[in-house]
Amino acid sequence: MSTASPTLLSPELLAQLERMELVSRKVFRGRMKGERRSRRKGQSVEFADFRNYVPGDDLRFIDWNLYARMDRLFLKLFLEEEDLHFYTLFDASASMGFGDPSKLYVAKQLAAALGFIGLCRADRVKLEALGASRREGGPVLRGRSSMWRMMDYLNSIQPNMNVSLQQGVKEFCIRNSGKGILVLITDLMDKAGYESALRLLVAQQMDVYLIHVLAKEEMQPELAGDLKLIDCEDGDEAEITVSRPLLQKYQQTLAAFINGAREFATKRGMTYMTATTNTPIEQLIGNYLRQRGLVR
Amino acid sequence: MMPEWLNTLSWWQWGILAGVPPLIVSLYFLKLKRQPLEVPSTYLWSRTVEDLHVNSIWQRLRKSLLLLLQLLAVLLIALALGRPGWKGTQLAGERLIFLVDNSASMSTEDVNGRSRLGESKRRIGALIDEMDSGEVAMIVSFADNADAVQTFTGDRRLLHRKLKAIQPTNRSTDPQLALRYAAGLANPGRQANDARDTQVADALPASLYIFSDGGFPAVKDFSLGHLEPIYVSIGSESAHNVGIISFAAERNLERADQLQAFSRIENGGAVDAELLVTLRHEGNLIDSQRHSIPAGNGVGVTFDLPRDLDAGVLSLRLENASGSGDYDDNMAFDNVAYTPINPPRLARILMVSHGNDAWELALTTERVQQLADVAVVKPSAMTSESFLQEAGSGAYDLIIFDMCSPPEMPLCNTLFLGAKPPGDEWKAEPFASPPYFLDANGTHPLMQLADMTGLLVAEGFKVVPPQGGQTLMEADLGAMLAIAPRRAYEDAVLGFGFFSYKDGKASEVLTNWHTRPSFPIFVMNVVKYLGGSRGAFAMKPVQPGHELRIRALTPVETVTVKTPAGDKIEVFREAMGSFVFSQTQQQGVYEVIEGDQDEPAQRFAVNLFNHRETSVLPQEEIDIDHEKVAGTLSRQPVRRELWKWILLGLLGLLTFEWYIYNRRVYL
Repeated sequence: MSTASPTLLSPELLAQLERMELVSRKVFRGRMKGERRSRRKGQSVEFADFRNYVPGDDLRFIDWNLYARMDRLFLKLFLEEEDLHFYTLFDASASMGFGDPSKLYVAKQLAAALGFIGLCRADRVKLEALGASRREGGPVLRGRSSMWRMMDYLNSIQPNMNVSLQQGVKEFCIRNSGKGILVLITDLMDKAGYESALRLLVAQQMDVYLIHVLAKEEMQPELAGDLKLIDCEDGDEAEITVSRPLLQKYQQTLAAFINGAREFATKRGMTYMTATTNTPIEQLIGNYLRQRGLVR
Repeated sequence: MMPEWLNTLSWWQWGILAGVPPLIVSLYFLKLKRQPLEVPSTYLWSRTVEDLHVNSIWQRLRKSLLLLLQLLAVLLIALALGRPGWKGTQLAGERLIFLVDNSASMSTEDVNGRSRLGESKRRIGALIDEMDSGEVAMIVSFADNADAVQTFTGDRRLLHRKLKAIQPTNRSTDPQLALRYAAGLANPGRQANDARDTQVADALPASLYIFSDGGFPAVKDFSLGHLEPIYVSIGSESAHNVGIISFAAERNLERADQLQAFSRIENGGAVDAELLVTLRHEGNLIDSQRHSIPAGNGVGVTFDLPRDLDAGVLSLRLENASGSGDYDDNMAFDNVAYTPINPPRLARILMVSHGNDAWELALTTERVQQLADVAVVKPSAMTSESFLQEAGSGAYDLIIFDMCSPPEMPLCNTLFLGAKPPGDEWKAEPFASPPYFLDANGTHPLMQLADMTGLLVAEGFKVVPPQGGQTLMEADLGAMLAIAPRRAYEDAVLGFGFFSYKDGKASEVLTNWHTRPSFPIFVMNVVKYLGGSRGAFAMKPVQPGHELRIRALTPVETVTVKTPAGDKIEVFREAMGSFVFSQTQQQGVYEVIEGDQDEPAQRFAVNLFNHRETSVLPQEEIDIDHEKVAGTLSRQPVRRELWKWILLGLLGLLTFEWYIYNRRVYL
């Protein structure tokens, strides 16, 4: 289950990603001038609004036509172009190391692809593994030249950051208060539940995309006999005797779990998507994420 | 068929066995070896298993197919130990002897369209198939003789093959030889006089299965020994058979120029019969008569033959009353009989006497001259070369010695009047006083119709015949007339003469017999019986398979016998002058061709003529060694155990369990 791959993104995929851009359903304020509209009113050519003249304002922005009509002085306001903050938060717990390819690998691929799109568009890209905030946060990247730094960071992440989802998200939110797009890539396999973590994200008022990654072995487990299942994160054990009814019940439980997460996320304005490890990354980016409006 | 149970364990053993299944279950749950497997998370599995924890015990059981299979295996073992079984049947004994009756009556087709022999073979085949390993069987077929078809063997295929090869015969039934053969093989004995001789094998009990319809007399002078007889009666109690048990052609006693055919027809089945009896000469119909014969009864049938009939073959056939063909009954073999009409031939009789007027007069009647050519010589001629040559070559059929005895016995029948044959075989004990006649054997051909009442004898001797002889006339002081066989011939000795002779002439009269009406009748009987001709029409009838001694009419060294099928068999003369022919299996008329002659000199017929074979109703019991053996099933009730089958099922179950475990089959 190697999670490090020398090439997370193939050259063909990179060429495809160059033509894409990240799309935000909300207009957020960036710190620097980017290629995106911002709510902040600044000095651009796009008229936004009027306000009363206050002594000291720049006389060049007085709307003389309005003065002629109203015999009062008003100042024009213009939208200012800003950069987009794009955050990718991915789960790097031990459970993400399961599968072939592993869920963490797929998460990295997604993070790298989306990050590359943002870098190409001069967005502010930050990638971070859940639990990494304790030691050091993910790098803040901007511009295409930061590509290699992004790859280095992703390749350095191993599936050993066993932190609860809620704790990891909380730490991220504390350290990253900016608005923007947040893509959370996780398997949601937290016995404490995912609800509190997602609520924290909702409170950040970010444009949240939840990508639920599951391995194909979890979707269709090929188990047989009398087994003692051992949780790789907490060592919890579950004894089962595999039978057809048991497998059918597992499928039902899994479907209920996925539906529950989808419903919870959707109700709170998050975009939910399920990704399995046997789905090609090109399909994930080009079809699934495009359909959900994250990229175009 | 409800199973029966045979308990093989005590109560505490059953208690231990009953504790095994719960022990298996508890061990199964307490220490179920599960294969550890690391998974990303037990989050979903725990939630899955929780839902299935309702009625967990039963769910565990349902999930655990292997556990159920193991419990079932223990149950089967317990079941097998209970030795369940049901009532079945089994061959009796480890050594089996099958005696198969293949006589004429076993050809009766009254068992589901099969012959009785076929049914016997079918049943024996089924018994052979039931033989266990270690059991051996022997097959002996019998009619009036015995044939060891197969000695003791456990090879079932060989037994089947030999059984199939048994063929029906047209012979009568006598199991004596077959029983002795079976007893000899089953009970090997030791020589009484040689202490060094030891038994070849230990005498072991053997089950003797006799497949027959029981149509034979009681077997006497036979010891079963270690044999356990089981008589299997074959045949239907509703069998239907009418048969000819005698058929002969004779000259009419009242009218000498006319031939008559006599026969007796018996209904030996269980159904009344109405049929047509037809007589044919050389295949041409002469006459027919319609008869009704109730079951178990018989009827005598007589036909008058045309006067111009003097040679050929007569056949008597039973046909349907409607004339539509042969009579339809269960056994066809006895529905036809044959008898030849030999060309008339005079008996050649020589009387050696000084001058016995009574006899010479009796031998010269017209009636006797029609039957015999009689010559008389003096006793002094007995030493002549011509007499010795003729007597020694069989030139005569009968020589009558009157008060004299030859130096050696001739090759023909003899009658001694008042003298005994030479040698020590016959004994003559002179009467101390005149004997008083008591009784005569009226059933013997010599004494037929001869009423000896009033016979007076002045002097004579008591006749003691050799072994095999029989007394024909009895007086108060002993036998006065006896007859005994001598190889191919018979010798009769009258213990008194008619006249005493002095100087070659009759001097005293020794009896009044020649004045009694019985005397000429006796002389005629002598001419017919000892003269070797019964009207010169036919030799004595022969039963199939029996040997016949042929007396040639001419002094030849070989005769050729032509069978009904046309085969010619050459027979050489024996030392005693007769020809022994034994290949009489076929029914019909045989021809005897003497020397180089073209035409047959005489004919004889082979017919079954057996009352017991014609009586086809199967016997319910047979008598062996004064022991009544009732007909029974060929099997005896026995317990058939099932534990072998249960263990076999267990083996299959274990194989299935192995398959389940290795292939991870889901239910």
